[in-house]
Amino acid sequence: MTGPLRKSHPLFRILNGSLVDLPAPSNLSVWWNFGSLLSLCLIVQLITGIFLAMHYTADISLAFSSVSHICRDVNYGWLLRNIHANSASFFFICLYCHIGRGIYYGSYVNQETWNIGVILFLITMVTAFVGYVLPWGQMSFWAATVITNLLSAVPYIGEMLVQWVWGGFSVDNATLTRFFTFHFLFPFIIAALSIIHLLFLHQTSSNNPTGLDSNYDKAPFHVYFSTKDLVGFLVLLAGILTLALLAPTALNDPENFIPANPLVTPTHIQPEWYFLFAYAILRSIPNKLGGVIALLAAVLVWVLVPILHTSWNQASTFRPLSQVTFWILAATFIILTWIGSQPVEEPYIIIGQVASVLYFSIFVFLFPGIAVIENKLLLRY
Amino acid sequence: MADDTLRQTPEVIEAVRRLPADTYNQRAFRIKRALDLSLKHRILPTEQWTKFEEDVRYLKPYLEEVEREMKEKADWNAR
Repeated sequence: MTGPLRKSHPLFRILNGSLVDLPAPSNLSVWWNFGSLLSLCLIVQLITGIFLAMHYTADISLAFSSVSHICRDVNYGWLLRNIHANSASFFFICLYCHIGRGIYYGSYVNQETWNIGVILFLITMVTAFVGYVLPWGQMSFWAATVITNLLSAVPYIGEMLVQWVWGGFSVDNATLTRFFTFHFLFPFIIAALSIIHLLFLHQTSSNNPTGLDSNYDKAPFHVYFSTKDLVGFLVLLAGILTLALLAPTALNDPENFIPANPLVTPTHIQPEWYFLFAYAILRSIPNKLGGVIALLAAVLVWVLVPILHTSWNQASTFRPLSQVTFWILAATFIILTWIGSQPVEEPYIIIGQVASVLYFSIFVFLFPGIAVIENKLLLRY
Repeated sequence: MADDTLRQTPEVIEAVRRLPADTYNQRAFRIKRALDLSLKHRILPTEQWTKFEEDVRYLKPYLEEVEREMKEKADWNAR
């Protein structure tokens, strides 16, 4: 008697260990759906992306019209394009909810899982950035020009570095072709890293909304959380289709309907909404190199979160002061996103600078400091 | 109780392992009850809430003992 095939077969038992018999905390809430939703977003992007890649041409004289050809002539090309463009936004909505869950519930104490997550986020940002360049609209070209020019701030090797990335002396055909290559390649790296992310997660088991040891009450992943995740998939797919079918240009920048023109600079160059918080932090520092460092630090500060965890509790569930601090962070993030979309004028400049300082202060000073206060007040440690 | 919510550091895990059986079982019951209430999005009725006087730091003596032992081990290993 070898038992069920799912437990004895060399391949199936790996899938079984992750998706069927995996012991999961019984009380996982909706905030634990975003991990599987991210996998769904990646699969949607891979499938729509591969079909788009069959009809797209990465050449500056043909890119814009190839996207137009996809939307007008390719069977359901309009739908593929709309889903691909809008699913990028859902990808980042799920990412921010997933990271927010990690911060609020102290899931970052699993440091390997957390750090791979930070790397995954950085690669996803790069993938989305190079992907946005591909339609070769005005905003595609000028966002690429602004952000790649930031590399010139690197001391000594900056100019050489940026021309190496461009493949020339400006954003041009060489840049577009290599950006297409990166945009095709990186999602597979994301998929591989996601598997490693899960590998480390399954060493310790998932966290749960109480932050307590969940070994006292586990439920098998199937059928409880496979069903819960399926409901999440249906909600996400409904959201993607609502946006793609009813309001496909809601999150679009109208400048991107104009073919790229290196001689005409748009009045307001701004990235897609999911990069605006980092864009606001970049612009809040009057110095170019300082702004670039702040831009990188806006994401890399997350690596410090597990190191600066001072609470005797894992989650914020029983810590009201930390909960308030978390929601101040969420509000700061929203304010930074709003500021990133505004022109560089008063009062937006000072608001952006205050919000940027607050953003970093929350991670470096407020979370650790308030946890120390809570240790003394609540736990009497 | 407050000591039920302590983060699973190596010191806490070892201190919990050293608890007497009845204290461990009561802790396990409270945690399991908390997980069950969490999944149902409910809280205990007020009359079952732990009173401040009853919130005993039952883990503290074991935790201090474990921390002392770990510090002594680290000191010996440093020599």
